[in-house]
Amino acid sequence: MKKAGSILLLVLAFLIIYFLQANFFTWFTIAGVKPNLFVIYLLFIGLFAGKKLGLILGVLFGVYLDIVIGRQIGISGIMLGIIGLLGEYLDKNFSKESRITIMLMIAGSTVIYEVGCYIFNIIALGTSVEILAFIKILLIEVIYNILIAIVIYSLIQRLGHALEEVFKTKNILTRYF
Amino acid sequence: MYKTKKRGIVGVVITIIIIVLLVIFTNSNVNQLTYLQDICNVFVMPIQNGFTYLKNKISGNDAFFADMDTLKAENEELKQKNSELEQSLRELEIIKAENETLKEYVNLKDKYADYNAIPADVINRDISNYSSTIVINVGSEDGIKTDMTVIADSGLVGHIISVTNHTAKVQTIVDTASAVTAKMSTTDDSIVVQGTLESKSTLRATFIPTDAVVLEGDSIETSGIGGIYPKGIHIGTIREVINTSNITDRYALVDTAVDFNKLNTVLVITNSVSE
Repeated sequence: MKKAGSILLLVLAFLIIYFLQANFFTWFTIAGVKPNLFVIYLLFIGLFAGKKLGLILGVLFGVYLDIVIGRQIGISGIMLGIIGLLGEYLDKNFSKESRITIMLMIAGSTVIYEVGCYIFNIIALGTSVEILAFIKILLIEVIYNILIAIVIYSLIQRLGHALEEVFKTKNILTRYF
Repeated sequence: MYKTKKRGIVGVVITIIIIVLLVIFTNSNVNQLTYLQDICNVFVMPIQNGFTYLKNKISGNDAFFADMDTLKAENEELKQKNSELEQSLRELEIIKAENETLKEYVNLKDKYADYNAIPADVINRDISNYSSTIVINVGSEDGIKTDMTVIADSGLVGHIISVTNHTAKVQTIVDTASAVTAKMSTTDDSIVVQGTLESKSTLRATFIPTDAVVLEGDSIETSGIGGIYPKGIHIGTIREVINTSNITDRYALVDTAVDFNKLNTVLVITNSVSE
């Protein structure tokens, strides 16, 4: 019951993030570049709720985004799923109690997500390859995401631990033995 | 514990300030900050004026240099006149070609009157930095189908890629996956304009015929080849021609007529070319 409620809250939070990304951040840009809040969100779910939920929600949210605004259904689905999956592996190898590692994780997953999407887009839609322009946009986006990570770090910690209690209670004790 | 928490809040506040400053400075035009320029100028410009006055006093005594100066000025003036003449010659050429195509336009205008267009509002912009699709608030119940052409008052916007009952998704011409066959209005040479990642207001015109003359400032319109877009819809103007070592690879940068950042209302043309 608690799990179902949490998942419902996660879906609600996704909608809020969608409205932020589609309205506020379309004009609140750094040199015309928007941040990518979905990567931060899916990494957050993967880190604190585990890979199963990260993968499922990542694919569902990604496919939803593709249907609503994307050009090709499935690309965001696959890539957001991978980010959700990645969360648990990062959690096993790095500490999420430090601001710096969270920042680096977000930077890394933003790069993985955007490069993956770009390659899929080139294959699926035949878009022309513009490496330099792509790298320029990607760098600004990564910096923007890192800045956002710094701002919402304490929020991530607080909500994350609440989420961890619901989804990872059994693991949390055995992890350190 | 208290200390670190306090430092954390300070860090967050500083980061928010940095984000806001970055957003303001990267999105505002430097030329709009005239008041800031005025303030900055106050410190140096009066002194610079004094220095220039002194320098002129010292160097202006020499008659030889004065002679040189007048010759230089004359040369400059002649050069400018020459370039002005060249410019007007080119303009005349453009006007000549335009005159011919205008006759065609007269027929086209009658054709335009036959198009039925449905007005729509843009209700959703793209959330990604690498694509440019928009969602409009008309759908299949309003008679919208896929592949219909979408225009704005100043020119071509794109075409419909998918439709639901009350909304439709539009792939804009600045999307990197979009390619529109077009022609240059003065020379009638056919080209392909594609969206670029670099800018949301620039298109890249490729496949320029090797013998074609590309004029900067020339207007670009749809050619009607390809089946989606009707003929003669304005796309934009050529800003710059980029010549590469191989003439077949040369391309031109085209400024779009539509400002996609401020696009709020569009028109969907409901009867296609074939009908």
